Amino acid sequence: MLERIFALLVKEFLQMKRDRTARFRLLVPPILQLIIFGYAATFEVFGVSTVVLDQDHSQESRQLLACFTSSGRFQVAQVADSRREVRHALDVGAATLALVIQPGFAQLLQKGQSAPLQVLVDGTNSNTALIALGYVGQIASGYAQDYASTLAQRRGLMQQQAPPQITLEQRYWYNENLNSRWFFVPGVVATLTMFMVVNLTSFAIVREREVGTLEQIMVTPVRPLEFILGKTVPFFLIGFTEVALITAVALLWFQVPFRGSPLTMVLGASLFLLSALGLGILVSTICRTQQQAFATNFFVLNPLFTLSGFAFPISSMPQALQWVTLIDPLRYFLIVVRGSFLKGIGVSYLWPQLAAMAAIGVVLLGLSALRLQKSID
Amino acid sequence: MNVRRILAIARKELIQVRRDPRSLAIALLLPLMQMFLLGYGISLDITNIPTCVYDQEASQHSQALLARFKASRYFGIVKSVWDYGALRRALDAGDCQLGIVVPWNFSLRLSTDGKSSVQALVDATNDNTATLAAGYAQSVVSAYAADDLELRFTGTGRRLGAPQPLAVDSRVWFNEDLASRDFIIPGLVAMIMALVGALLTSLTLSREWERGTMELLISTPVTSMELMIGKLLPYFAIGMADAAFCVALAVGWFGVPFRGQLVTLFLTTLLFLAVVLGIGYAISAAIRSQIGASQVALLLTMLPTAMLSGFSFPIDQMPAVIRAITYVVYSRYYVTIVKAVFLKGSGLAQLALPIAGLLIYAVVITFVAARAFRKSLG
Amino acid sequence: MNGQIVAENLVKRFGEFVAVDGVSFSVSRGEIMGFIGPNGAGKSTIIRIFCGLLRPSSGVARVAGIDVARDPEAVRQRIGYMSQKFSLYSDLTAEENLRFFARIYRVPRAELDARIQRAVDMAGLAGHTQALVATLAGGWKQRLALGCAILHKPAILFLDEPTSGVDPQARRRFWELIHATAAQGVTVLVSTHYMDEAEYCNRIALINQGRLVAVGSASELRRNPRLGDLLLVECADLGRALAALRGAPGVREAAVFGNTLHVSVADKARALAELPPFLRGKGIQPHRIVPIEPTLEDSFVELVGQAAKSEAHA
Repeated sequence: MLERIFALLVKEFLQMKRDRTARFRLLVPPILQLIIFGYAATFEVFGVSTVVLDQDHSQESRQLLACFTSSGRFQVAQVADSRREVRHALDVGAATLALVIQPGFAQLLQKGQSAPLQVLVDGTNSNTALIALGYVGQIASGYAQDYASTLAQRRGLMQQQAPPQITLEQRYWYNENLNSRWFFVPGVVATLTMFMVVNLTSFAIVREREVGTLEQIMVTPVRPLEFILGKTVPFFLIGFTEVALITAVALLWFQVPFRGSPLTMVLGASLFLLSALGLGILVSTICRTQQQAFATNFFVLNPLFTLSGFAFPISSMPQALQWVTLIDPLRYFLIVVRGSFLKGIGVSYLWPQLAAMAAIGVVLLGLSALRLQKSID
Repeated sequence: MNVRRILAIARKELIQVRRDPRSLAIALLLPLMQMFLLGYGISLDITNIPTCVYDQEASQHSQALLARFKASRYFGIVKSVWDYGALRRALDAGDCQLGIVVPWNFSLRLSTDGKSSVQALVDATNDNTATLAAGYAQSVVSAYAADDLELRFTGTGRRLGAPQPLAVDSRVWFNEDLASRDFIIPGLVAMIMALVGALLTSLTLSREWERGTMELLISTPVTSMELMIGKLLPYFAIGMADAAFCVALAVGWFGVPFRGQLVTLFLTTLLFLAVVLGIGYAISAAIRSQIGASQVALLLTMLPTAMLSGFSFPIDQMPAVIRAITYVVYSRYYVTIVKAVFLKGSGLAQLALPIAGLLIYAVVITFVAARAFRKSLG
Repeated sequence: MNGQIVAENLVKRFGEFVAVDGVSFSVSRGEIMGFIGPNGAGKSTIIRIFCGLLRPSSGVARVAGIDVARDPEAVRQRIGYMSQKFSLYSDLTAEENLRFFARIYRVPRAELDARIQRAVDMAGLAGHTQALVATLAGGWKQRLALGCAILHKPAILFLDEPTSGVDPQARRRFWELIHATAAQGVTVLVSTHYMDEAEYCNRIALINQGRLVAVGSASELRRNPRLGDLLLVECADLGRALAALRGAPGVREAAVFGNTLHVSVADKARALAELPPFLRGKGIQPHRIVPIEPTLEDSFVELVGQAAKSEAHA
């Protein structure tokens, strides 16, 4: 039996070696995705293009605006002279944020009253807008606190009579510099592997059916189990190599830290691959031609990817969709990967995810093995 | 050029699409699936962030502050812990993404120094949600400082402190609710158009090559130009129908505001379709196997449109090199247009620049597509 | 050369491989010219060149006086083509296919329905026009393809192995159609690898390995002088008999045909007298030795063998 499996394995590797499109599919998407998610994909806001309108022209107003520009978060794209200019800048998208200081600003401050700072933000990209508003809040409260203390000192007031200040100390754990790359690149390890393994496995089996060699093999003494193993083992190995390679790139090139246990990763990857393989085989039992496989893969993998929590948090999805994600193996593997890279947690914390993947993998493999057996018989 | 021939080819193409389950799935199911999947699945808004609280002081003030967190729709208090170890474990395990720690001397410091602090421990694995969560936490704390404290201090007979010097009055334009859905869904229309358009047309020539019908077709007097126009006409119709469907869904189902003119959207969508269909056609002419053509089509449409068009990740925050690359991503221009028409109500005049970008692309692509197909076997 | 279809030293190379090696011939108006040869001989390549689907590497291909390489579009107006692999739209109905090609060829709107009806009648497809082509049997598909090719009343028809994979009855019917079409003045170039179909053509061109081995009518080609007289030998153990006869005196050539041997001899009478004892001497008992008329196949085998021999010597 081992001999036959070995023969099947050799055949599979030979075919893969000679299949140029397979090589293309193995190399290009990983490289592309790594580049994009390593460099382009980011929700971070590095600089908000701003238009400023200072109608007060006082020392205080200039100081306030200086706080914004020196923070490095805001880039003054335009200095406006009128509200109309401000409106125009926002309309055509020349600026995302507008800071407007009205006349009488300094006077109000000096009298110890509240002076308004008007902020207009283009909400078209709500995410950026929210983050920008957050920065505004931080800078504004910083300015307010400084001003309040200075004013109090100048007036010789006691500290108690100054408005109460509560600062919020923010400690960012696991990803101290809020680096988007640290979030995405480990995720790529998981998603790429899934796409790769499901595609390769389903195509390989369907191609044999299309070309007719499946019939040929059925005539030989090869048993269904041997056939399944012969098909899945190579792709398991490839999937594993993929995980290892991308992890290496993440560690060495992107310098994402790995704080967890390699063994947990290995375990997680193996269980995940079981699910991926099961899915690939299941797809192949439904499709008769490679085109069908392509379409089916797309319709299946797309939702699994979107709902996995790779880019968009699952907790933000409607409840119904959150339940759907419970059967998505990618969701669990992402937790394992991110936990291993960034959080440094091990099996003691991740066992629910590992168990879930194991369960899904067993179900998928079982189903697909049954179907394959039936079609071979 | 003969109109009858063009129509004959268009008619044949339409019949074939109607009878091909795969093409139908792409034309009908795909937009529906994507709209619902991504419309609901993609959200950057965070609500009910699982939060742990560690109240070291357990005083009236600390409870008042924490009550604000409880009341806020952004936070969902999942548990209270009594030591740092438990807090760390909760964060590690992912039971909560945020931990709020009120120090033991919170009220004391307020009454003596007038200053105090609260700690927020944020799970920054997802840096975006972390930033947003921290921002919301800050606003809760600031609001408490501004409102509550004054009342309390007046209540104990202390002198009212001066009001906060700076009052930030912020207005949000174009997307007042700051709902990420409102900015993602218009972009989604672009995404779906690109995908459907390219996938459908990428098969059109490859299918004929593979089935052998191309050989007969090119032995007839039909010209390359007639062939291209005839083949693309039905996909134009399908594309526009899909666009209308998606827009209707966006406005009718998802409630995205539509402030612009339908005419603007119609004309710009036509232009965008020209580009997308041209790309699909060129791919189909170059790659004579259906499976190869669909893979390349997917690669050239899905990936750039999803990542680099401004649909999900803001272009102006990308590194300069990548930003330069996005000028070549055709969907970038259309995403800008669609979002502006929906949310800003922009008209053709304001959109002159992206429209110009699309026009240039359309011209180049038509040229490439027309030359890509040769009426010859070798 | 004059004629509706003219080839002058036509050559087509695919990289190193020479598919068509200096072929020259001409077909007159209303003539049915048959291309016969084994698979890979170059028949399809030649036809494709005439249809403007391939460019000749060198030489001239002319259709109705037009140089195909220079003005393929003008040629396409005047020809009808049936490719070797069935190339109608199997996901369209028979009628949809006919209508499509009628429009492509710009059949005048007024005549559209009439011509489609005529094609349907000719093909015997009446009542089956609404069926998807994929569901039709082989012979029907072929006739439909022919119907599509003549909707625009072309002057020249190129048919590339139109009857392959079709049962003999359907084949006969198809050839009747070809004859009827040619009778109306259409020039037809047909390729086939069925020897018996060669008899249906006015003239035959034997093609092998990209070269024209012989051109002429069926009877001309059958009367191959080099063939000499032909004897049919029936016996057991054909293998041994073949080996023995090849070396026998007065025997030019011997080949297996079914379960008999065709032996080409210089002198019929002498062979009839000498061969039986010769064979018995070798331990082979001949059941029957009779003279027969050479068939086209005999001629072809000889001609091809001759060509190979002369090539070996060159």
